[in-house]
Amino acid sequence: MSSNASAEAHISSGDGNVHVHIASVPFYVGIFVALVFLTVLTVAVSYFDFGAANTVVAMLIATAKASLVATFFMHLRYDSLFNTLCFLAAFVFLAIFILITYDDLGHRGEVDPDYGGTVMPQTGVAAPGSMPATSATANETTGEGPPAAGSGEKK
Amino acid sequence: MTTVSETAHAGATHDDHDGHGDAHPSFLQHHFDTPAQQFAASKLGMWVFIATEILMFGGLFCAYAITRALEPQVYDQSHHFLNKILGATNTIVLLFSSLTAALAVRSAQVGKRNETSIYLVITILCACVFLVVKYFEYSHKFHLGLLPGHCFGHPGLSASVLPNGQEVGTCLRMGANPDSVTPLWVRAIDESGHEQLLPPRANMFFALYFVMTGLHGLHVIIGMSILTWVLIKNQQGKFSKAYFTPVDLGALYWHLVDLVWIYLFPLLYLVGKPE
Repeated sequence: MSSNASAEAHISSGDGNVHVHIASVPFYVGIFVALVFLTVLTVAVSYFDFGAANTVVAMLIATAKASLVATFFMHLRYDSLFNTLCFLAAFVFLAIFILITYDDLGHRGEVDPDYGGTVMPQTGVAAPGSMPATSATANETTGEGPPAAGSGEKK
Repeated sequence: MTTVSETAHAGATHDDHDGHGDAHPSFLQHHFDTPAQQFAASKLGMWVFIATEILMFGGLFCAYAITRALEPQVYDQSHHFLNKILGATNTIVLLFSSLTAALAVRSAQVGKRNETSIYLVITILCACVFLVVKYFEYSHKFHLGLLPGHCFGHPGLSASVLPNGQEVGTCLRMGANPDSVTPLWVRAIDESGHEQLLPPRANMFFALYFVMTGLHGLHVIIGMSILTWVLIKNQQGKFSKAYFTPVDLGALYWHLVDLVWIYLFPLLYLVGKPE
């Protein structure tokens, strides 16, 4: 069957029985070899410093590996497109989750090295809804520790 | 249901005549028209479940992103305490187990029952190897005192001294002086044998390390259990070319375990400045 045929054709056409694309054993082994190569590559590049790009490079390689696993080992290539959409939707919502949290963090002040919690950079007072001080002594000394009940961080 | 019985009847390998003219194969549940429909529904259900699993791990990945953005120094220094070689070994073990899981599904698709069992056994053995390596990594970190909660984050406790009075030099504390308000950097020997300075609040990194790898390890154990169940059912002859859904879905779960590790490995072991 053509690899471009939609999964609907696999599932609803014909006699109602399950018909799936069956890849060959050498094909799966080839995917595995590619995954091992990418693993060795990501470890090798970790010994070089690309500055801020370190994480980007590592994530690009990881995404390439994850794509290989999802596409071929998990059969998404020959599966219903809707299953792929379900899978990718998870990453869309994950991105929303992380980006909005990240944006929120940008309006919360900065970590104070002495105090241990987050403070507003201009005034030095504890930022609203910030991380609490990391030690009880810090609270006593500054007297400005945010109330424990108001913070989402549990120690 | 008489309208659907003909299509099911035509291709069914295990016709189960119940005397009413309905010829559903034994594996086909009553609320599905055809085996293909049942298969597609099962796969969709599994993919929705996988999406929820990604979002569950997503909370931890979000915590990782935020704490790393707050204190990149903590991550730059702390990741030297993880052994890259052991991590890479475990990555390859998991990738290989994913290969054998995919081959188990392939064998089930072509109806080779014994091959399916062999591949499933190899997959489960790889999972055991993964957990054994993880055990050695964990116990080494416990030994170094890197487990949050024991001596991390409690400046008032002199937790770097064992109950028998022995000094544990590598045990980390927020401050060298319990009365000090300012958390101090701590000297410790990392995986490469180099002395590293761990910044205050390095416990954030190790807390996330243990929670993320711990939750992943729990998934490894659950995946092993699922694959063992699939193996038993396969040995009982429950699966055939016409019906291999549990093998397929069990393997999908196992690939998910692999997917999560593919991201955990570089994020925990590899990122940050090399030495």
